[in-house]
Amino acid sequence: MAQQVVMPKQGNSVESCIIVEWKVQVGDTVTTGDVLCSAETDKSTIDVESSADGVVLARLFEEGADVPVMVPIALIGEAGEQVELVENTVQQEEEKPVEQESQEVKLAVSTPATAEKASGASPRARNLASSLGVVLDTVQPSGPKGRIIERDVLAVQTEPLSPVAKEQALKQGISAPKSGSGIGGRILSSDLGKEQPSVAVPTVSSVPIQESVVEIPVKGVRKVTARRMMESIHSTCQLTLHAYADARALKRLRSGFKNARLELGLNNITIGDLVLFAVSRTLLQFPAFNAHFLGDKILQFNHVHLGVATDTPRGLLVPVVRNSDMLSLRQLSEASKVLIGKCKDGTAQTDEITGSTFTVSNVGAFGIEAFTPVLNVPEVAILGVGGIMLKPIADSDGAVQFIEHIALSLTMDHQAVDGADAARFLKALMDNIASIDLLMAL
Amino acid sequence: MDSYDLIVVGSGPGGYVAAERAGALGKKVLLIEKAYYGGVCTNWGCIPTKSLLNSAKLYTHALHSESFGVKASSVTFSLSDAMAWKEETIKTLRSGIEFLMKSNKVDTVFGEAQFIDAHHVQVENKIYEGSYLIIATGSSAFIPPIEGAALSHVLTSTEILSLDEIPSSLVIIGGGVIGIEFASFFSMIGTKVTVIEMMDEILPMMDPEFAKLMRRELKQVTFHLGCKVGKIDKESVYYTDAKGEQKTVDASLVLMSVGRKPNTQGLENLALEIDRRGIVVDDRMQTNVANIYAIGDVNGRSLLAHSASRMAEVAVANIFGSKRMRMRYHAIPWAVYGNPEAAGCGLTEREAKEQGIDVMAQTVQMRANGRFLAEHGKKGAGLVKVICSKETKAILGIHLLGPYSSEMIWGASALIEAELRVQDVKEIVFPHPSVSELIKDACFALDHSL
Repeated sequence: MAQQVVMPKQGNSVESCIIVEWKVQVGDTVTTGDVLCSAETDKSTIDVESSADGVVLARLFEEGADVPVMVPIALIGEAGEQVELVENTVQQEEEKPVEQESQEVKLAVSTPATAEKASGASPRARNLASSLGVVLDTVQPSGPKGRIIERDVLAVQTEPLSPVAKEQALKQGISAPKSGSGIGGRILSSDLGKEQPSVAVPTVSSVPIQESVVEIPVKGVRKVTARRMMESIHSTCQLTLHAYADARALKRLRSGFKNARLELGLNNITIGDLVLFAVSRTLLQFPAFNAHFLGDKILQFNHVHLGVATDTPRGLLVPVVRNSDMLSLRQLSEASKVLIGKCKDGTAQTDEITGSTFTVSNVGAFGIEAFTPVLNVPEVAILGVGGIMLKPIADSDGAVQFIEHIALSLTMDHQAVDGADAARFLKALMDNIASIDLLMAL
Repeated sequence: MDSYDLIVVGSGPGGYVAAERAGALGKKVLLIEKAYYGGVCTNWGCIPTKSLLNSAKLYTHALHSESFGVKASSVTFSLSDAMAWKEETIKTLRSGIEFLMKSNKVDTVFGEAQFIDAHHVQVENKIYEGSYLIIATGSSAFIPPIEGAALSHVLTSTEILSLDEIPSSLVIIGGGVIGIEFASFFSMIGTKVTVIEMMDEILPMMDPEFAKLMRRELKQVTFHLGCKVGKIDKESVYYTDAKGEQKTVDASLVLMSVGRKPNTQGLENLALEIDRRGIVVDDRMQTNVANIYAIGDVNGRSLLAHSASRMAEVAVANIFGSKRMRMRYHAIPWAVYGNPEAAGCGLTEREAKEQGIDVMAQTVQMRANGRFLAEHGKKGAGLVKVICSKETKAILGIHLLGPYSSEMIWGASALIEAELRVQDVKEIVFPHPSVSELIKDACFALDHSL
């Protein structure tokens, strides 16, 4: 009998993967472990392996399809087997491309895969989730090894769901909004899927457009970025402070590293790496900025897990240099370059792009002077690094000198910290950058 | 100039509730009323008709209770005494509203309101200023342009409540709630009643199966359905029947109850958007002018006293309160207080079909119920129907015809508002013996599983 190969689950936050390339044709013989296709998650590219031996009877999705996890993507069986059924499946999907996703989601939940899906949650969390009508996929895990525990389910608790809404939410895997249109804000079935606009939908979409346009579906990294940015703006109180740090020490060190002996391995250390280094050290003195704001509590971290905003062909990714405060400048530079490379290749793993405690976004190379970076929630702050420019500075004699300065833009969540705190942190960072050579000696 | 947080115009079940709720929040509120506290509901609508219907029901029971062991002789109906009781009731309720206004520190001015602009209302020679304005001016009986409609024996529901003698015959034009309640009342006290309805069934919001039974139970009333009245003169009403034939029916009195029109005259200075139904409002009861809200019949969204009261709460919540409330219309119950009573909430099967919703429905006979049987016997007529979604089993509609219907129907609202399913209702314990148990029976008829 034919067996289904499903799109494998990639951690708790990945809802779907895009099939990038099929590696097998219908009729090919495969064994367990053979790569059937490559697929792209929000964050990286994975190989989907066959979970069965036999002949590929059908590929259920075309390349480019966005397939929810745990949904069958291929049928493996004996040659010539069940051809009719296979054709039907494919045909149906071609006819109803729009409904495909919701149908498939239902399918995924009704298969025994549910048990496996919930394995990342404690039994107490699972029981609570099913009694509250909370979809486990929507829960942010905080337990050991990324496990969902009871308090994580409580954290997403909403107004009570009506019996119908609860059943539909669990059956269809739709997350419920925080409150609904029923009595006292109770959530009714008609409220499901009406999540607070996690992705802003323009209201003027019906304006007739005369010229030809390119329609690009919002999915993958773009979809995640859109949702995360909106969440950030909706859930935080963002305020940006701009400042300029004396960049002479940075420039001096950079040229020193460039000309250093090759065997020291310092030649590739950039101005950006030096700023990361300064940030990782300065944050240790300002734990309020190396923190997550969770509404009812603030988590401060002992080590700096530094997010480095990275421009990749697939969009914005933020690889995380773990324990950056423990790394030497060279180690920090190397670690960030390895991670950035993985992001650009699409091979970064989920744990390499999650868990940052502070983020740095550097657009200095483009000659940008200052900007207002958007918080990478739940982080309390993000630093934007601009270009190096000449600034006129009066010396003690009153003579004006032109000194190179680097632009720093610190966006902070005013819910968690105050403007004066941010000013103090930014001032310390300016001083540390201005005397980065001394900082390195510490 | 006296200045208020809120000016409410109209003191019916919309207006006085708005004033009361805003007053209770500590706001400075002015209530303007041109006639009496309570509006049409208290003075010429809900309350007086309930009073008269109760008198007529007592009379009917007294006449027809031999089989229950009650033998009464020389039973008569005194319209003047019934009217006196009605007046007494109205006065008590009016003073109740007056007390509510005082205890919530609401100022009341009696007189016709003249709207100067969005913040100023004049009564007689005095101008009052308000930050917010709630218009709750209600509706009036609609008089269709029929020849003879202005004759002195052609009355609306207002004038007919002041009759001093029982008419020998009455033609009621319009078989809606008002028409059917008066048909029930006058037929019980001995008037020969004829109802002429343009549609092919009475009570348009009612399940057709129920409306048919209602007509059958109103044994003394003659119904002409699908008929259009063309002319009224001193002796007769002329109409065209469903087959297109000209007919006449004699009448010493005619009641015009074809519908209501919103009282939107005099609002010109406010530049409000007004459509066919009334003042246009959103689901917060806000009009196109930001500080003006319109509630009750004048917005025409749901012509029921309890809808008006709820709209009042929604409006006040959006002005002074949580700002989160929205008006929900899908679970507003209605009731017809004739003999028998009827009530309903939510969708009928026909409405569900029109909206493309797949439903399941079960109807149970009231005579299957212990209490109903004890009080009305094997020949008593009554029905309970429960409608649910085929897919989710959520209760979508409950329809009742029989005693206590109006008192039970709030439960249906609760079930529908809470989006409970058939299997959830089956877990609720109903008191025994009570007619309400039939709701549970109908749910088990929809799904016997346990």
